[in-house]
Amino acid sequence: MTDDACQRYAQDPEAHAGHLAVCERCREIDDVLSTPVVHRPIAIEALPLAPWEEAGYRAWPLVAGGAVVVLAVAFALCAAAGISIVQALATGVRSDGARAVIDVVDQKLRPFGPFVFAALFLIVNTILVLLLRRAPRGIDA
Amino acid sequence: MRKGFLVSAILAATAVTASVAAPSLEMPLGPGTFTTALSLITRTAVIVSLLFVWIVAAVALTLASGREVRSSSIEVRTAPLYCFALGLIAVTSFVLTAILFSYLIPYLVGLPLLVALGLFALITKIYGMIAIFHAIGTLVAGARSRQEMSRRRWLRGDLAMVLIGVLLLGAIRLIPIVGTIVWGLASVFGIGTALATKFGRREPWFLTWRAAEA
Repeated sequence: MTDDACQRYAQDPEAHAGHLAVCERCREIDDVLSTPVVHRPIAIEALPLAPWEEAGYRAWPLVAGGAVVVLAVAFALCAAAGISIVQALATGVRSDGARAVIDVVDQKLRPFGPFVFAALFLIVNTILVLLLRRAPRGIDA
Repeated sequence: MRKGFLVSAILAATAVTASVAAPSLEMPLGPGTFTTALSLITRTAVIVSLLFVWIVAAVALTLASGREVRSSSIEVRTAPLYCFALGLIAVTSFVLTAILFSYLIPYLVGLPLLVALGLFALITKIYGMIAIFHAIGTLVAGARSRQEMSRRRWLRGDLAMVLIGVLLLGAIRLIPIVGTIVWGLASVFGIGTALATKFGRREPWFLTWRAAEA
């Protein structure tokens, strides 16, 4: 059939119902469109739990309880050690091993000279850039 | 075969990095004295006090950007090897870059660069550790089904998972030697997942060049 006839049928199918008998292409489209939709009941309970479900729930009693217990234990231990909690925190922050690690690595790399250091620096940062180019898997996995 | 090679390569890299960078462990293993006991109590007090700060930071960050923390937590659970490898390389890169910047301190430019690097590393570690707390909390105490979740009164949601993770890792950290190693490994995983997901935003770090279409 001509495209004009198909166009007229598409615009008003009821007025041009006879077109279906002569045009196979429109008959196929009509068959697809008139297929009844099967409504199956969705068993929500059977679906896997998504990570964001109930994620926004704020368990304040649990958080407050946990924090208070940890604070009480910290106060008790500080009292037993004879220091204030501020002193303990200051010691903890100061004793971060990052500076020590940097010093140790610097001392161990120094005998190899600047070229080895430069090569190592380039290799490590090249691998870092290559790894950072990979897209995260996360929820798509 | 390929995965096995990757795992062995990462283990070997870990061993080399640890042997180069690990500070000496000065842990008394002999019979205890009063001074040893006091130093142990002080050490425990310091760790527990820091744990309280971690709880406050974790709760604040989870309230501010829970979706991002969850996204990073999912990443470390789905691709742990990648996160560990990335974390290991990133830590090595931080150390080498810090050494390079420390040589530039006499030329003035080194100090601001070093401060910027330190801040970036600190933010990465804090964010990453909180994502790891969430991942551990979800692995240990996360609900497996809707019925299980609906039965729970408080033990659900991001805040609860983060808190469980902090308490568990904090308790492990109290164990001498093992605690330090586990906390260090968690830091490596955390830095890896923070960088892998760009702090939970799941955006690419680098833009790819593509020719304009006419």
